[in-house]
Amino acid sequence: MNSKTLLLGAAAAFMLSPVAAMAERGSSGHLNIIYWQAPSTLNPYLSGGTKEVESASLVLESFARFDDTGTMVPWLAADIPTVENGGVSEDLTQITWTIADGITWSDGTPLTAADAVFTWEYCTHPEGGCAQASYFDGVDSVVAVDDMTVQINFNAPKPFPYTAFVGSESPIIQAAQFAECLGARAPECTDANFGPIGTGPFVVTDFRPNDVIEFEANQNFRYPDRPYFATVTFKGGGDAAAAARSVLETGEFDYAWNLQIDPTILAQMEAQGNGTVVTAFGTSVERLHLNQTNPDPALGDLRSTVEGGPHPFLTDPIIGQAMSMAIDRALLVEVGYGAGGQPTCNVLPAPELYASTANDDCLVQDIAGANALLDEAGYVDTDGDGIREANGMPLSVLYQTSTNAVRQDTQALVKQWWSEIGIDAELRNIDASVFFGGDPASPDTFQKFYADVEMYTNNFAGVDPEAYMANWRCSEIPGPDTQWQGSNIQRFCMEEYDALVDEMATTADLQERGRLAREMNDMIIQSYSIIPLIHRGGVSAHANSLEGIRMSDWDSELWNIMDWRRAE
Amino acid sequence: MRGLRAMFDTSANKKLVEVDGLKMYFPIYTGLLRRHTGNVKAVDGVSFDILEGETLGLVGESGCGKSTCGRAILRLYEPTAGSIKIDGEEIANVGFDKLRKMRPTMQMVFQDPQASLNPRMTVAAIIGEPLSEHSGKSRSDQLDRIYELMDAVGLNRDFANRYPHEFSGGQRQRIGIARALALNPKFIVCDEPIAALDVSIQAQVVNLLEDLQKQFGLTYLFISHDLSMVRHIADRVAVMYLGKVVELAPREDLYADPLHPYTKALLSAVPEPDPVAHDNANRTILQGDVPSPSNPPEGCNFCTRCPSVMDICRKIDPEFREVRPGRFVACHLLNDTKMPADPTAAVEA
Amino acid sequence: MLTYTIRRLLLAIPTLLFISFIIFLIVKLSPSDPTAGLPLTIPPEVREQIRESLGVNQPVFVQYFRWLQLMVWNEPLHLIEGWTGWNVAPESTTRIISYQTRSPVMDLIMQRMPQTLWVVGISYIVGIIIALPIGIISAYRQYSWFDQLGTFISMLGFSVPTFFTGVLFIVIFAVNLGWFPSVYDTTHVVTDWDSFIVQLKQIIMPVMVLGLFNASQISRFMRASMLDNLNQDYVRTARAKGLTEKVVVLVHVLRNSLIPVVTVIALNVPAVFGGAIITEQVFKVNGIGQLLIIAIQSGDVPTVQTVSFIFAVLIVLFNLIADVLYGVLDPRIRYD
Repeated sequence: MNSKTLLLGAAAAFMLSPVAAMAERGSSGHLNIIYWQAPSTLNPYLSGGTKEVESASLVLESFARFDDTGTMVPWLAADIPTVENGGVSEDLTQITWTIADGITWSDGTPLTAADAVFTWEYCTHPEGGCAQASYFDGVDSVVAVDDMTVQINFNAPKPFPYTAFVGSESPIIQAAQFAECLGARAPECTDANFGPIGTGPFVVTDFRPNDVIEFEANQNFRYPDRPYFATVTFKGGGDAAAAARSVLETGEFDYAWNLQIDPTILAQMEAQGNGTVVTAFGTSVERLHLNQTNPDPALGDLRSTVEGGPHPFLTDPIIGQAMSMAIDRALLVEVGYGAGGQPTCNVLPAPELYASTANDDCLVQDIAGANALLDEAGYVDTDGDGIREANGMPLSVLYQTSTNAVRQDTQALVKQWWSEIGIDAELRNIDASVFFGGDPASPDTFQKFYADVEMYTNNFAGVDPEAYMANWRCSEIPGPDTQWQGSNIQRFCMEEYDALVDEMATTADLQERGRLAREMNDMIIQSYSIIPLIHRGGVSAHANSLEGIRMSDWDSELWNIMDWRRAE
Repeated sequence: MRGLRAMFDTSANKKLVEVDGLKMYFPIYTGLLRRHTGNVKAVDGVSFDILEGETLGLVGESGCGKSTCGRAILRLYEPTAGSIKIDGEEIANVGFDKLRKMRPTMQMVFQDPQASLNPRMTVAAIIGEPLSEHSGKSRSDQLDRIYELMDAVGLNRDFANRYPHEFSGGQRQRIGIARALALNPKFIVCDEPIAALDVSIQAQVVNLLEDLQKQFGLTYLFISHDLSMVRHIADRVAVMYLGKVVELAPREDLYADPLHPYTKALLSAVPEPDPVAHDNANRTILQGDVPSPSNPPEGCNFCTRCPSVMDICRKIDPEFREVRPGRFVACHLLNDTKMPADPTAAVEA
Repeated sequence: MLTYTIRRLLLAIPTLLFISFIIFLIVKLSPSDPTAGLPLTIPPEVREQIRESLGVNQPVFVQYFRWLQLMVWNEPLHLIEGWTGWNVAPESTTRIISYQTRSPVMDLIMQRMPQTLWVVGISYIVGIIIALPIGIISAYRQYSWFDQLGTFISMLGFSVPTFFTGVLFIVIFAVNLGWFPSVYDTTHVVTDWDSFIVQLKQIIMPVMVLGLFNASQISRFMRASMLDNLNQDYVRTARAKGLTEKVVVLVHVLRNSLIPVVTVIALNVPAVFGGAIITEQVFKVNGIGQLLIIAIQSGDVPTVQTVSFIFAVLIVLFNLIADVLYGVLDPRIRYD
């Protein structure tokens, strides 16, 4: 992705309105959106939840956003700064954003660089508890060069500097409105948190936490013909099935978010002909982690630690490969995910630049091949109990995940397939709040990994995988000395891999970064310490009368709501 | 029966209450489908008359059907069969509205003065309710009448706005009596009016009833299991056993010379205040229990316990007939010895 | 009666303090983390900072006394100020702040009260209105087909959960017939006849679902109480007085039978303010019940604590009201 494509993308975003010439602001009337989890505040810095971030994205905006293909487009900025256009310094420690002309807040005052500086101060205040603080990681200072120019200085080279003020998670808030709300006083500004003044297409007219938000078109919005909708009701409450029903069956709502329900039920609802199910894929992957250390309870405190020694058989990629070959990913999608999932063989499935194609063999189930592989490697059933042995030890694994109907279905299917290749699996599921709770005292967290195999979904926000790929450095392995903090859950460790991570941290060229990321992905996949299963996407539904939806998993789903309109 | 009527037709007093062949059966439903499988024959063919101004005592063991009989006479139950005439009007099967209009003529004093008074109404409301329902008097007239009645039964007027639970048992029964008197009834069924009261109070209430009878010319059906109290108040006495009247006689005759074996047994159980007489009394102790009214014995109802039972008693139910002037008994013993010439009895014997 | 009421109110204070402390401990000691619901992409250091800013890491007793002070002193002052406009609350007075919304919990409760009272309150009234005649007729005609039918329906209403009847109603009346909306609009304001009809349409399903449930319960009480009284002697007295059957049943029997029923009704009133968690969720009413369940799910201790404490106050209060009502209705009972 070079500056040319970025600019093209930007232009495309602005031009992409076929009926723009005919329609005018407010001409589409009223829009009803249902988010079954209701937003509790409209200040995304006080709550990191998706529902808050997405509802706030109707009002608050940032310098640049990601479109439905993951391409960055300038939003409040005039263009995307790059090394080539001089917006990013050669040593990668500075990025300079220029605010586009004619952008005003909804109260009519102009947006200035001071607002961006204030936003940085607001989120990095030590007593504020800002939920998006990680977007300002490594930011040394934010300086207003002049009214229209913002300079961000990093304390170290930052090859991918598009974090602060990019995407829906770190939008710019108005300095005038939040001036008195810094640090510990943030919660006292209820009016501001519930009704932030923004530059976006809509302004808040009524906010009821965890219930409903009413918006109306921003009369000071920079595009005189948009938004097409005059008013928006953003309702929360109920459950995913009810939200789907209200769009697809009763037609009371125009757009429903996050419809993770039984795919056959969703398909039946869609068949009524009122609406359409749409999906967008980001980076979420449901995967199996194979423990590379020994979880044997006999080891006591050394269970599942590097000190406890390697796993008796899962460190052999042949066994992992056979386990992966035995799985019919397409069937898993059909049973549990429907439109919301695709089979994948990569732990880093997107954006396209980073997606490897080297592992696609796994998309086809091959039980015979898996059996042959194990036979050839000498893992055979010596005692006739139907389970193969490795050095006299039966290939028997404890397979754990969080409690969730889809995951338990997946577990059962995988167990069946593994039994066909002579690998026995004992299934276990743990309540999600415990499994993901991270309590160092609990033996059942996914970090402690007191099992041979575990399954869950992870992803990364935004489009840059650098930090995500750094998860699997040797130093990230959780253990008692780090209070079991650490993201290298499967305890994978390769010097070559760590070297690639270091290389990426100093590489600015996008194509080169893509090559490095793909190489790291392949290294993990071919070690078979991670077996990817499903590339999971967001599932939403909209009424057939609604046009202009370009659902994105890289940014807020509502990122282009200003272009949404009612079909004639 | 004809003989009985004939006798009283000639007398000076006219008959106020005429009960003929009254039956009160309570159906029994059993099983899953609640099928009608039998009846509790609480009152099984009772006939008697009560003269105007008279007190008829109705005695018997508990469970013999005397209270049911009293309630059925006032149509507080729907009688199964029989005729009831009060003041010449048939009430056993009149419509509800007509019956309601006849209610003022006939009233009842209940056994339990606590339970029979609505706990949420004041004394004035309890006594006044029938007035507003039937008399059409103005409010102040009603109040005057309430005070009048309270005076008549010996209640302090100041207590008019109190609730029943604030009174003693005897006072409560006075409220019940005042209520019964409110509409100037001719006939009052007193259903064990003193059974729930202290012995010390019983006499007061009975005296009150007697005074009121004289004052207002009332006719009483006095139901009681207390034979000595009945002896005190009643002019004539009917004895009930298992849903039937076995003997009906003027008071003095009955107490001096009971004819039915059951009456004899009953009277012999009355405590005798004179210790000498008490010790020398020749007591008849009845054996066994009263049979179930849902399954009475064949023949005479008393045959299972009768000390002088005969074969016929187990087969044929004796007729209730006048064996001496004014004395009615249902017993085969009397049919044989006293009335040998009776053709039916002879044939049956 | 007055001294009795005052004595009971005084006694309620230690009770409520004890209850509030127990609630606090239960909520606090149960494993809940206000940051648990955040996406996995938010790093642990940021989570720790959020927890720190919420004051989650302070000692339990400090947190409890802080909450107590805000609850019994600052919040009432704010309430008085809000009602009267007097400037009694000091400018800097802090209030109980929800972890989720970072706004005062009392404001959230006040915001949710209208829809909860509309839906749950009306359903309670509807339930009572349906239940009383059914209970009376069932008892008066005991074992008749009406009684059998009433028993069957109330058994059904009692045992079939509201999440089932609610969804069933939505599928029939909203999806197939399209008569009523399946999503409750809390912003709807009744200003004229037409908007009243809209309001009626949107509350009818939740009201009927909850009303059926309430009616089942109350009609059983009513029937049992009527049966107790119908066989009493005073009813025979009333009949002997020559009163019409209507007066006998409706004045004598009903008034006495209502005493226990009225107290049961009064005891259940706090549940009306408590909302109906499941029904609110099914119909998206977003009242107090939904507030509580969301607060529990997201580890919002101040909200859970405050809402539960208000329930506790209402329960204690309505227990007292029920007792006093008993005394008013039943002349046999006097508190001296």
